Amino acid sequence: MSKSLRLALCVGTAVSVAALVAGCSSSSGGSPASSSAGAAPSSSAAAGSPAPLIVYSAQGYDAPVTKAFTQATGIPVKLVDDSTGPLLTKVAAEKNNPQWGLLWVDGDTAFAALDKQGQLLPYTPKAALTSVGQALVPTDHSYVPVSTTVMAALIYNSARTNSVPASYQDLLSSQYSGKVGMNDPSQSGPTYPFIAGLMNQLGGQSGGVAAGEDYLKKLKANGLHVFPTNGDTLHALETGQITYGLIQSSAAAGEVAKAPKNASFNAKAAYLPQSTLLPAVIGIDKAAPPPVRAEAKKFVEFVLSPAGQDAMLKGDPKGDSLFWPVVPGVNALSDLPSFPSAYQKIDPYFWGPLENQVNTFFDSTIK
Amino acid sequence: MTTVLPAAQPVSAQPPDGGALNRARLSLSRFRSGPWLLFWLLIVAILVLPIALFLLVAFSPRLLGQGAAWFTLQGFRDAFTGTLLRGTLNSLVVGVASAVVATAVGAGVAWCVLRTDVVGRRLWAGSMFALLLAPSYLIALGWERLLEPAGVLELLGIPATGLRQAFYGPLGVVIVLSVKGVPFAFLALSGALRGLGEEFEAAARVHGGGPSAAARVVLALLAPACWSAFAIVFAESVSDFGVAATLANDAHFPVATFTLYNAIDNFPVQFPVAAAVGWILMALAGLALLAQTRALRGRSYRVLGGRSRPARRLRLSRTAHLLTVGCLLGLVVVGLGIPSFGAVSASLIDGLGSLVGSHRLTLTNYSRVLHSPALRAPLQFSAELAVVTATVTAALGLVAARLLSSRGTRITGRVLDLLLLTAVALPGIVFAAGYIFTYNLPLTNRLGVHLYGTSTLLLLGYLATALPATSRVLLGSVSQVQESLREAGRVHGSGAFASWLRTVLPLLARPLVAAWVLTFAGTLLELPVSQLLYPPGRAPVSVGITKALANYDYGGGTAMEVLAILFALLVVAIVWVLFRLLTPAGWRRIGGTR
Repeated sequence: MSKSLRLALCVGTAVSVAALVAGCSSSSGGSPASSSAGAAPSSSAAAGSPAPLIVYSAQGYDAPVTKAFTQATGIPVKLVDDSTGPLLTKVAAEKNNPQWGLLWVDGDTAFAALDKQGQLLPYTPKAALTSVGQALVPTDHSYVPVSTTVMAALIYNSARTNSVPASYQDLLSSQYSGKVGMNDPSQSGPTYPFIAGLMNQLGGQSGGVAAGEDYLKKLKANGLHVFPTNGDTLHALETGQITYGLIQSSAAAGEVAKAPKNASFNAKAAYLPQSTLLPAVIGIDKAAPPPVRAEAKKFVEFVLSPAGQDAMLKGDPKGDSLFWPVVPGVNALSDLPSFPSAYQKIDPYFWGPLENQVNTFFDSTIK
Repeated sequence: MTTVLPAAQPVSAQPPDGGALNRARLSLSRFRSGPWLLFWLLIVAILVLPIALFLLVAFSPRLLGQGAAWFTLQGFRDAFTGTLLRGTLNSLVVGVASAVVATAVGAGVAWCVLRTDVVGRRLWAGSMFALLLAPSYLIALGWERLLEPAGVLELLGIPATGLRQAFYGPLGVVIVLSVKGVPFAFLALSGALRGLGEEFEAAARVHGGGPSAAARVVLALLAPACWSAFAIVFAESVSDFGVAATLANDAHFPVATFTLYNAIDNFPVQFPVAAAVGWILMALAGLALLAQTRALRGRSYRVLGGRSRPARRLRLSRTAHLLTVGCLLGLVVVGLGIPSFGAVSASLIDGLGSLVGSHRLTLTNYSRVLHSPALRAPLQFSAELAVVTATVTAALGLVAARLLSSRGTRITGRVLDLLLLTAVALPGIVFAAGYIFTYNLPLTNRLGVHLYGTSTLLLLGYLATALPATSRVLLGSVSQVQESLREAGRVHGSGAFASWLRTVLPLLARPLVAAWVLTFAGTLLELPVSQLLYPPGRAPVSVGITKALANYDYGGGTAMEVLAILFALLVVAIVWVLFRLLTPAGWRRIGGTR
């Protein structure tokens, strides 16, 4: 190695190490999270203070709920608030050494898979649930539904059309040709449950996949537009690329409530039979230290309590707070219509494992 | 590795106490190897291990808890079928096309700015940096706002169907990636052009060569920078995620990075498939490196020495002037004007979601965002991390570039070259997942390393994503610095460090500042690594922006975006002003845009 190279190496490395050490010390010093999140949560519990509960959540109202929980119980929470996709990626990547204490996202198919892998701690909360809520509870109680939305709401621009379909079959008629849009199931978490629900409705567990694929092919032949996620489908609706969009009920209700209405745009929502339940679900990490598991159970109880439900309903009133409660006596926000009478619950343990197969079909044939 | 003694010491002289001196020499050589060892340890920790563990999952999912098989090739079988295969082929085509276009355009811009008297030279050079600051997804979204159905063009009564059909697909993807690649090519080539001087052209002309012969000589001498530009733009293009997730995705034009992302960002999470796509991306980068190596084999391109003189500028005719300004303006409009329009218009429209109807222009989004805790603390956190990342990356990038350009360390240099180019070709999400695999292993924790979930790991992740591109940008300039410069300083009595400070640093100061600025801007709005590695409760600004956009708050999200970019521009401006104020005139003169 030449002298100049050695010199450059010495200088560069020295500067780098100095800056890195300075950066690390300043960044970790300024962050309580950074000093303890990587370590076992039980270590801080041993020191006397409660171990922080690490919550992975994709709910729009999670920050106020966790804050209210800490106020009510004194248990500190470290919130990792992100979309469902990145959170499930983290959970999968951490499988050898899970860092999360509690996972809270929409849809129960991922939880069914985590349950099959033995990653979830079964828990039965004390709070009673409505009949819809009870239908969503798995037989082994490996996860807890705490609210529900449905897939799909049919959102449409009533300023451009008076026709509202009465069934999914109606969408195949020429009247709706080129006017309907939906999300891509490989990018939009709520959309696979919708497709699985369609398949379940059209052919049950035995013939549903084939019947559903046939239906989607016909829908595509009738000019179906596919957009990445709820937001993109709504954008297409507002810009006139489509007149009807099939999206999650909370997104549809939020759009109806907040989008400006004028002569060219007036969003309304309808629910075609059958609406498929898409619950918000909490799962507890089975590998977490016992104190953290106990805290997670308290968190579930809090979320199902009147105070927790209130925090959920107030936390994101034009977004994720537009859910239907599954706790008796708690009312949905006024921007949400009454719960669809024609609804179904799909078995996540059956339909979950088919997700990759169905998404691959959609990717190659429908998109 | 060889240990070289200082030149002043007589190597053959036998001291009276040979054993003691030998022991001392041995100790000294160990001491000298320390930084070298530290450098490679850092490279292994931030690049080799995370990448290796991620890629290992393609063969052995069970090793990291990602499947039942200890050994399988199923991930590769999946990667070579259907949409995944289509994505890879599309990436290859798009990568080559955008690398060729960006290198040609970047060379043209560098030539205009450095070798002609075109008006507004500082503006054009500055616009290259501004282009670096613009995330590729912002450029793509700006175009989409313009061309989409009921978009701006159609609202203005301009039919956009034909243009939309052409742009929503490979052509649009190549255009955006080329525009995004031009600054990389410009940086690599302008550094080389600055150091080239005029003597080689003059020599060609003196020996009877015409302008074309002189141009051939110049192009031949610029070959390392050209190949460096091609390789880096190719690798950046195939690893780009911003365009892949926006324009390409909306156009249903799959590219490899997005198929990789899809494999691990959605349920069921398929790390083995993603890792197989990672191997393919790495192979693509290897092809670029191979082409570069074969093209440059056995030649020396060291032209920057004590006798180098800045070249004279070509005086453009009136027509040529107009044409040149028109072309440069077109590039700036395509790369900056349209995306800026998209972002700014989006942030100024109340209740954005559409451009139709009576949505009025308002500053409500800015007011809301400026008073929101979702902006200030995350922006400060990101800025702190970006400053540290940029500083460390500039220093390490210099070392890496020096190592790459060194002729005496061919094997280590080539290993490092392959590693860095591989890292450029892999999308950030690969690093992020690899970091989780590496630093969240029970074994790692048992060894007392608890980095996962800390700011330190996020910082290392940023460093890993920034270092490859930065070192390659610096390579063009570093490879031109002749040893004789520093040796002349030593002959005149300076110590090793002092001679480096006096002879080499002035030549590299400008590229180093450029590298710092590039890294700072890129890190400030980095998303994939931030998303998976940020410490609980301390989200960087990019995560906040994404969250706002995901919650359909387009106005708020884009307002945050615009403010973050304005902040980055402010920092960049301050850095350049400080550079002008604090550095000696000679440092700025070398290759400066006058």
